[in-house]
Amino acid sequence: MTRTAQKTRIQVAVDPSQLADSATQTNTSRRGFIKTAGTAALSAPYIITSTALGNATRAAASDRIVMGGIGIGNMGRGDQGAFLGRGDVQYVAACDVRAKNREESKGRVDGHYKNKDCQVYNDFRELLARPDIDAVHIATPDHWHALMLIEACRNGKDVYCQKPETLTLREGPLMIAAARRYGRVVSGGSQRVLGDYRRFVDPAWAGELGTIKSINVSVGPLPQLCNLSEEPLDEVIDWDMWLGPAAWAPYNSKRCSGSFSINGASWRSFSDYSGGGMTDWGAHHFGGATFICDVRELQPKEVVYHDTAEGKWLDYKYPNGLSIFHNKPKTGNLFIEGTPGEKLPPKPVPTYKGYGDIYGDFIECTKTRETPFRDIERAVNTCVLAHLGNIAYQLKRSLQWDSVAQRFIHDEEANRMVDRARREPWQL
Amino acid sequence: MLDQAFEALKKFDYGTPLSDVQAIEDAVVASNHDEAARKAIEKKLSTTLGSSLSRDAKDYVCRQLALVGSADSVPAIASLLANEGNAHLARHALERIPGPEAEAALASAARGLTGKLQLGAIGSLGVCGKSSAVSTLASLLSHTDSSIVRAAALSLGAIGGNEAARALQSAMKSSNTEKGVLIDALLSCAESLLKDKKTTEATAIYTALSADHQPRLVRLAAARGLLACAGT
Repeated sequence: MTRTAQKTRIQVAVDPSQLADSATQTNTSRRGFIKTAGTAALSAPYIITSTALGNATRAAASDRIVMGGIGIGNMGRGDQGAFLGRGDVQYVAACDVRAKNREESKGRVDGHYKNKDCQVYNDFRELLARPDIDAVHIATPDHWHALMLIEACRNGKDVYCQKPETLTLREGPLMIAAARRYGRVVSGGSQRVLGDYRRFVDPAWAGELGTIKSINVSVGPLPQLCNLSEEPLDEVIDWDMWLGPAAWAPYNSKRCSGSFSINGASWRSFSDYSGGGMTDWGAHHFGGATFICDVRELQPKEVVYHDTAEGKWLDYKYPNGLSIFHNKPKTGNLFIEGTPGEKLPPKPVPTYKGYGDIYGDFIECTKTRETPFRDIERAVNTCVLAHLGNIAYQLKRSLQWDSVAQRFIHDEEANRMVDRARREPWQL
Repeated sequence: MLDQAFEALKKFDYGTPLSDVQAIEDAVVASNHDEAARKAIEKKLSTTLGSSLSRDAKDYVCRQLALVGSADSVPAIASLLANEGNAHLARHALERIPGPEAEAALASAARGLTGKLQLGAIGSLGVCGKSSAVSTLASLLSHTDSSIVRAAALSLGAIGGNEAARALQSAMKSSNTEKGVLIDALLSCAESLLKDKKTTEATAIYTALSADHQPRLVRLAAARGLLACAGT
């Protein structure tokens, strides 16, 4: 029996903690590749550069997480910059269906490393098939997230996926299953949940607010069907790949704009690609609310729809008695109703691991195999709120939600909205 | 208002304001718990589908039938499955219509169509998740087109259960095509068996996938599965 096989068998039989596949295993493969290549080139001078060995600000090559990015538009560019700036990351590949984004991305990455090594792709599957890549970040429009994230897990990659992570209710459990099946570190992408709302989190987790009865989230609007007319193609874009699993539609610059508009001037406004403001900003605000109230691991059991003279609003009811309101009239965003006079035992506030922000948290977890701050399951639970809300508003009625079965109770029409067909040939 | 909206549908195309047909959506939502109203709007929609409409208009109608369609609408919707322009949203509607009629239409398309349209129908059978589709899907695992094999495997994984698992295991022995997806689907089947407390069957799958010749990623996935079977 070889040493490798023996080690594997011991892991299987004895030590569950070792079953979280490590990014360093890919590094081992990479080192193996370097060794093989080096053997083949014995006659050439062998130079070990200071970059390869690492220094105070740069990890040795064998300890860096090798990364690629998919979707390098507005948010993807920011994510790429964050990962590129880390000494413990080696950024090697970028994928985008827009030629301009690919070219800019390559220029940026190559300029950073002062080489020509960054490979660019139009098709994400080619990037994900590379065995040397440990982790990817995904920042495409939302209709692509589930497909790409699941395919990345199948290929053994850890994933940082921009929020909102899901487009439909059915996608969430499938994404979680893929992450768990392959032992991947999969982080969602809201930097605001911890970054912006800490001032609310600290007193809540310190017990100073007593039992929290309710919290209000103000966010919107709902997504709309997009029926924009065709425009002449004025950019180099693989339009069929941009649409991907979404319904075919003619090119229109607003339809595919990556701007942050949620009012009709970008894909974020349209239901084929996004849950609208409900998911786009909801991923932040609902994420903050569930963190403040310590229900990140839960989903609501009921959404009560209110149609009043002052406006339409929702009351998400949790199994523990908490209500998260959405757009309750005359109530500010993240207004918390606690229990005056009650003081609860303090709890330690979860935070990012490693150094830096949410990006550092993800990279640290790819090394340690710990659960990231915005683990995919928590991210999915956040998105569930937004999706339930969109469906309740669209159907104009209250809904009961079975979070185990992931089905609405006694509402066939709502159950027809938990997912949507994907355009051929795409399939989850 | 509703009649005007259906009239507007005849000229509906990309660029038409959605407000022109909003009354149709409103009628669909309002028909909840009103069987007569639901049947009436369904009939209007499925009848319209047979008339001369733009691709966009037919897609719009299929989106509405996805919410209120029943077996009565299946023939009209299924007639679009071979139409490259509307097949996607026709499947969107059929996936959501309960009962054997919609599934039979998708199974027929999965067997009889070719290319992307066939892939779409195969994928929809997986979404429907009915074990009655397993034999159709299993027969496609020996297809010469690897994309068909991949689609059928993923759908079998989505359906899960013993029968799907056996079909996937059999395909793995006889084919070198799409091994990774076949394994992924088999792991998915094992998870569904475990969820149904069929631990013995799940354990057998995980044990087979723990073999030394399997890729490390698969062996680790199988090992996690074995631990789950053992209740660890």
